[in-house]
Amino acid sequence: MKEKFARWDILFLQYLKRDWKKIIFWILGVGLFSGAFVPAFEEIAKGQGLAGMFETLQNPAMISMVGPTPVETTADYTIGAMYAHEMLLFCGLFAMIMAVLHVIGHTRKEEDLGLTELVRSFQIGRQANSLAAMAEVVVINVLLGLFISGLLIVFNVDTISVQGSFLFGASIGMAGVIGAVIGLVMAQIMPASSSATGSALGIVGLLYIIRAGTDVSNVNFSMFNPLGWTYLTYPFTDNNWLPIIYALIFSVMMAILAFALEGGRDMGAGYLPEREGRGNAKRSLLSVRGLFIKLNKGVTIGWLIGFLIMGAAYGSIYGDMQTFLESNEMMKQMFAQSGVSIEESFTATIMMVMIALVSILPIVIVNKLFAEESRQHLSQLHATKVTRGQFYWTTIGIAVIAGLIGTLLAAGGLGGTAVSVMGDSAAMDISDFLAAGYNFLPSVLFFTALAALALGWAPRLGKIVYAYLGYSFILNYFDGILDLPEWFLKTAVQSWIPQMPMDSFDAPVFITITIISIALMIIGYLGYSRRDMVEGA
Amino acid sequence: MTEIVKIKELQKKFGKFQALSDVTFTVGAGEVVGFIGPNGAGKSTTIRALLGIIKRDAGKAEIFGRDVWKDSLEIHKRISYVPGDVALWGSLTGGEIIDLFMKLHGGGDKQKRDYLIKRFELDPKKKAKGYSKGNRQKVGLIAALSVDSDLYIFDEPTSGLDPLMEAVFQEEVERIKETGKSILLSSHILSEVERLADRVVIIRQGEIVESGTLDELRHLTRSAVTLATEDDVSGMESVEGVHDFIQKDNQATFSADNKYINDILMEATKLGVKKFEAVPPTLEDLFMRHYEG
Repeated sequence: MKEKFARWDILFLQYLKRDWKKIIFWILGVGLFSGAFVPAFEEIAKGQGLAGMFETLQNPAMISMVGPTPVETTADYTIGAMYAHEMLLFCGLFAMIMAVLHVIGHTRKEEDLGLTELVRSFQIGRQANSLAAMAEVVVINVLLGLFISGLLIVFNVDTISVQGSFLFGASIGMAGVIGAVIGLVMAQIMPASSSATGSALGIVGLLYIIRAGTDVSNVNFSMFNPLGWTYLTYPFTDNNWLPIIYALIFSVMMAILAFALEGGRDMGAGYLPEREGRGNAKRSLLSVRGLFIKLNKGVTIGWLIGFLIMGAAYGSIYGDMQTFLESNEMMKQMFAQSGVSIEESFTATIMMVMIALVSILPIVIVNKLFAEESRQHLSQLHATKVTRGQFYWTTIGIAVIAGLIGTLLAAGGLGGTAVSVMGDSAAMDISDFLAAGYNFLPSVLFFTALAALALGWAPRLGKIVYAYLGYSFILNYFDGILDLPEWFLKTAVQSWIPQMPMDSFDAPVFITITIISIALMIIGYLGYSRRDMVEGA
Repeated sequence: MTEIVKIKELQKKFGKFQALSDVTFTVGAGEVVGFIGPNGAGKSTTIRALLGIIKRDAGKAEIFGRDVWKDSLEIHKRISYVPGDVALWGSLTGGEIIDLFMKLHGGGDKQKRDYLIKRFELDPKKKAKGYSKGNRQKVGLIAALSVDSDLYIFDEPTSGLDPLMEAVFQEEVERIKETGKSILLSSHILSEVERLADRVVIIRQGEIVESGTLDELRHLTRSAVTLATEDDVSGMESVEGVHDFIQKDNQATFSADNKYINDILMEATKLGVKKFEAVPPTLEDLFMRHYEG
């Protein structure tokens, strides 16, 4: 036993030393995001704010996004209750994703890069690295939890109690640990770091979608969901520490499983079998298009399946909506007054969220071209008669088509399931859903174009496009909750597009954003065709 | 002789770093040019500029009489390139990648490919991520040698190959050479360059410091001489062109400027030569001179 983990402490200290900047950035970033919005919520709570928000968040679309609250009457809905309700799930998710990326980056990725091989040639135990990476992530999340708790306490709001603050921090820290163990297990099973990251994030996404369904239909089922253990602690209201205990037990079990799996495999190998490949290339591979399709195939199919499941999961909620409305007089009046049905309002909100996620895929594909370039995979191809234009436009083409198919699957999955669960009472048919989805096509094109622009002129900035997507997503996500000023909202590209079917289609906006996107792609091409290729940097 | 590659006062800056300050050399038709220099001297940068992967800041660079940046595609139809570190897609097999490279180059001889796969003892059914450095290099070499080109550019092509495979590579290059193709061979393995190259170009800190045939280069340097005479040998020390003179009884070792070798011999015969050995400098000696100098 000792042998396996020998000198893990040295690696652990080494990691802290190596990562301290990242750690500070991580704790400050996630921590401030999680803890520093109290004044904004105090603002919202003024006057009838709390009551209004309580009603708004009874909407199934909102529950499916931010989660439920244990509070049953408006009177009990305090600032603390609202803060936990709106922030906890999202912040927990954030902490979880960070932990997944970090753990896989320090375990499987280092193996793939050949660093582990070097480290293991010293007097270091076979599994010391995994233990060190896990220990680091636990330490980071403990610090993160404490930082958030402290931050909340400092704001000194009556309904944000000290105990609740610690529970809030602990929930987010625990979410990080859960993410870390999921990452560690997938790092053992998958054959490479990229597939480990993809599958671990896929699991987190799936957990999120499943809980969206169970939160709306029967919140007790969410208690079986590891992601549920973070926000079902209900800080500032029920102050339920039990889920934290579940999460601890789960994490320990998953960690033991991961170490057992790691003990049973060779370095660089996974548990999914490797097949012998082909001695000769298929005809379909023998072109730039064929090659790029092949290179992007795994990731693309993974995301597309994810979109379909996501659409179907949200679609399944439609069946419960009318029942829900019957039970809530105030909501019923609200929808009757606005002249929009609850299904239409839900579709409009959720479509914006889904298409923002669909936009990730084209960005991934466009950024892939630069990754290929900097890994020097293309050096030999650059010495053939293949033009840079072929590389560029093939990539853009695949990205756009992936965006089109992604939209089809997300909107179609949503619509197909929704129409079938609503049965005869359906007020919308599948074409309404598809129209609502493709209404956002210009935003997908716009994100693709931004990635293309970066590829052409400043390829290292390609990752910033994700940041902007995340920023616009958060802006739109919180638009329903916080009352943001118009100009601020408009910095997100989706905000320019009307939300169908609630609003009606706006052709000029649709065409304008599309044309801007195409223009950006062409400008990107001008850069790509004349810049130095970056190799090995 | 027609010039296949012609580079004149080529310059390239990366940010503030002057990677190439003055690169001038040519590769003639049917000629093998060895391109040598220490790490970081600018060999790969020069080659990337030749391939149009990066854009030069100043100077002229032509292949087949065409500009390497503007007419890169025309040029690329007739060249083959193997980088020093062949990076491959882990999810494809070696065989698939070779086929792809051949297809994207255009042309290519399937029989030649199969012959080379056998000669280099490559398992083409393995996924590329399982290949060692040497095996990745073989994939690049097989793909480049299976197609018909007029100019072959090799950037440290044999790094990671075992000596047997190195020999196979050298044989294959000689074969190409016999058919009258031009080759630009950048390499650290100086014996390889000595065996294959007609001319040698030495680059240091972005500048060409020496170029010419091996004989020409040798002429500029010194040979290591061992001389034993009947009479006292000490008089040789003062002869022009003699350096690092060490005497032991009537035997001396010294280095001699090749251009004075005749004068030195004339002086030596006056003393009654018992033994005279002159070893010409190896490429390594030449190279080290520039390394250190």
